[in-house]
Amino acid sequence: MRAFWTLFVSLLASLTLAQGGVPADWPDPFKLQFQRLQPTVIQPARVQLSNGVTVLLIEDRSLPFVTGRIYLRAGSIYEPADKVGMSGIFSSVMRTGGAGSRSADQVDETLETLAATVSVSTDNLFTSVAFNTLTENLDQVLEIWADVLIRPRFAQDRLELEKGRALEAIRRRNDQPTQVAVREFLRRMNEGHPAGLVSSAASIQSITRDDLLAFHGRFFKPNVAVMAITGDFNTQEMVAKLERALQGWQRGEVTLPTFPPPNPKPSIYFVQKETNQSVIYMGNPTVTAFAPGYSELDLASRVLGDGFNSRLFVEVRTKRGLAYATGGAQTQGFGWPGFFYGASISRVEKTAEVIELMLAQFRDLRDRPVSQEELELFRNNILNAEVFRFTSKQAVAERIARTQMLGLPADYYEQYIRQIQAATPADLQRVMQQFVSPDRFVIVVVGDQRQFDKPLSTLGNVVNVPLE
Amino acid sequence: MRTRLWLVVFLLLLLPGAMAQQLREQIRKYTLDNGLRVLMVPDKTAPVIHFNLMFDVGGVDEAPGLGGIAHMVEHMAFKGTPTIGSLDWPKEKAALEAIDKARADLDRAIASRASQEEIQRLTVAFNQAREEAKKLALPNAIDQLFTNNGEQGLNASTGYDRTDYRVSLPSNRLELYLRVYADVMLNAVFRSFYEEADVVLEERRQRNENDPNGALSEAFLRAAFQVHPYGRPLIGSREEIQGYRVDKAMEFWKTHYHPNRAVLVMVGDVEPERDIQMVRKYMGAIPRGPSRPADTIPAEPPQTAERRVSIEYNAQPSVLIGFRKPTYPNREAYVMDMIDSILTEGRTSRLFRRLVIQEQAALSVSASSASPGFRYANMFTISAQPRAPRTTQDLERIIYEELERLKNEPVMAQELQRVRNQTRAAYLRVLQGGPGLAQTLAFYELFFGGYQRIFEEEAIYNAITAEEIQQAARKYFTPQNRTVATLVTRGGSR
Repeated sequence: MRAFWTLFVSLLASLTLAQGGVPADWPDPFKLQFQRLQPTVIQPARVQLSNGVTVLLIEDRSLPFVTGRIYLRAGSIYEPADKVGMSGIFSSVMRTGGAGSRSADQVDETLETLAATVSVSTDNLFTSVAFNTLTENLDQVLEIWADVLIRPRFAQDRLELEKGRALEAIRRRNDQPTQVAVREFLRRMNEGHPAGLVSSAASIQSITRDDLLAFHGRFFKPNVAVMAITGDFNTQEMVAKLERALQGWQRGEVTLPTFPPPNPKPSIYFVQKETNQSVIYMGNPTVTAFAPGYSELDLASRVLGDGFNSRLFVEVRTKRGLAYATGGAQTQGFGWPGFFYGASISRVEKTAEVIELMLAQFRDLRDRPVSQEELELFRNNILNAEVFRFTSKQAVAERIARTQMLGLPADYYEQYIRQIQAATPADLQRVMQQFVSPDRFVIVVVGDQRQFDKPLSTLGNVVNVPLE
Repeated sequence: MRTRLWLVVFLLLLLPGAMAQQLREQIRKYTLDNGLRVLMVPDKTAPVIHFNLMFDVGGVDEAPGLGGIAHMVEHMAFKGTPTIGSLDWPKEKAALEAIDKARADLDRAIASRASQEEIQRLTVAFNQAREEAKKLALPNAIDQLFTNNGEQGLNASTGYDRTDYRVSLPSNRLELYLRVYADVMLNAVFRSFYEEADVVLEERRQRNENDPNGALSEAFLRAAFQVHPYGRPLIGSREEIQGYRVDKAMEFWKTHYHPNRAVLVMVGDVEPERDIQMVRKYMGAIPRGPSRPADTIPAEPPQTAERRVSIEYNAQPSVLIGFRKPTYPNREAYVMDMIDSILTEGRTSRLFRRLVIQEQAALSVSASSASPGFRYANMFTISAQPRAPRTTQDLERIIYEELERLKNEPVMAQELQRVRNQTRAAYLRVLQGGPGLAQTLAFYELFFGGYQRIFEEEAIYNAITAEEIQQAARKYFTPQNRTVATLVTRGGSR
């Protein structure tokens, strides 16, 4: 029926252009209705190796590649307080300092000849060791990956090399205003918590090979590790290969220290830098990810700062041309609260105007309920984009691995979706009033105050932060 | 050890051919009557489609004085149409015309050196006209449609040679995508134009002025290309951006952005024979436009002496070195790609090993074998950041030593093989799908004589010999073919 109708109209369409310059049979795009597509949920196989490693496996025979990643709770917050920056050095040297029977150069040479990768990366909470290889080279790459994971050599000369590079990176970390602002904002938002510590030349220089060995010995235990692996393999055979590759990795107890949550001190933190734009960040801590209130804060933060139709974008960029980059979000905090924030990079002579304009957007979300249309826009975005969570099998397996490491309930996302579906404008206003207080924000400004439209002191208490 | 590696290497070359072959067989190509080429790649992993709409127009096509207009037009193509974003089109149309008139009045007054009062009065009138028009429009309506429907990665980018528009959507939104982009190609409305010009000025400040790498790159290109548009900043100069007017931008749009100069690639949950019907219905309604204008872009005259430029900046030092060279499909361009890998791909590459690991002279080093564009003769560039107390002069000296070594000693077979393997693995990773595959296919279809070319390049790379590498190095890595830009620290990072 519909096909017939379409055919009929299209005969006329070439002759008639309706008002607005489109053929008469073209629908109003705002009235096009589509079903919400349900993702085809992919469930990995779950296996526990004899030494306790949990492995999540998804076969994908379409391409001749295998990708794997193992997670350990060895994040930067667990490095010694006087050795800030150690976890970054640790992950670099773990990969580049030789492993098992291979020297540093032999590891590089072998992997690059096979066009395979083994990588180590660290964030706040986790260190992960990953590999990617053509199926044909799997055995050899698995062997190197396991050596890097279990038997890193941390060669002294490679440690010195990475320390030297880290010192150079410190020397360069004030070159870009945005980098300065982000560092300062994270430091202030996480004050009182290890996540707020910033490395220094002294902290880098103090790092020794023994520190790296101790960090490895303390956190790298199979019984607390979760691995995600996908690609061109048979699950049973892969489990056997992993048993072999990881044999000799000894179980052990890992105790993780706990920390009080950050306790930021509301203020305007100003960094003087010669630049013709100011970088502005503002916000406050709220709740941990997926805790009560999180879903509504997530929605409210999208209304505030997610994309072209968010309030910051429309008010700061589209209507006034005051920034190219502007936006905001509710971050996902695991272990300690995430934060609700906004940011803009704006011309220096409009600095105070933009700060006030941004603050007004936060305040409005507290003072008035958002419109139903705004809420639906961002709700629909979340619901309709759910299919993109399953476009990569490796991403699915890694997400489930992290979910387990973080202790989230297996159905955390379904719960989140249900809350997103149920949220009302009143709910958003309630969480804004409960958790977001523009009067008590941490505001970071990096810019040239000689060119500001108004002194920052007219906006609140200012703490001058020297560039170091 | 050696033998074992060699065996593996051999297998690597044979094995994944099947994968490329399979992909090649899956790709469907259609050409509409208006010249639009449509490529579809079925991939049923998830019910989504990655779209890439690429035009063969970019910064090189700009007239002098209109630098950055291609990029400005890329921004404006997000502003909607009469049926997307207008609250009352006849009224809004009149309001937009009133802005144009107010702008022209103001420009005339400025040009004729009218009194400050007169200019002030006309400025107020111009701003008022803009406010009136804003009341009649829905800001960012295209984004709203896609956001509502779960978009991912809605974006666009402008290069010297091409412009592309990207978005990924749930696969049942095909009609929405086509309805929007066919309408944009037919009826784009450049609303909020002057606000957007201010946004672009901020983008320029952010990318080219307050980022030391952006500032250095701009100075470098200006020195390297004195005639060819590759020497101009892609985003335009500050004065050019301030001088943008709607009529000039619209003229650029109407000259270039036509279906016969574009490729639409759809990767994902598509059924080509079914979906092409809908593509024809919408995209087929766009009339064919003029062909690409005859190439009047002036060639860069041969370089006869080294060019050196430095900028003072409140940042730590860095150096950018470039050598002029031919572009694809010239075989030497492929040879230079191989040299790029030999020098900087991975930790075992020559420059990384020497500069970063052995001499500890650099924080990092990278290279590009086709910069800043690829449609015209371009440059091989090397960028490096010294580790204090080493200097950019130290880095230059070591880099030139390594380039001399390339000229004087043939590359060892094993090193060549490693580079071939890396090239091939990178290529196979692109073929895995997603937005990257959509963009790559669009690019090859538009510029390399057909997407099939992507499947033929491997043979070219595999056939490149050590001797050819040596010859190309000798031919191009000479002092008189070189441009060097240095960032000199002024006042620390203050």
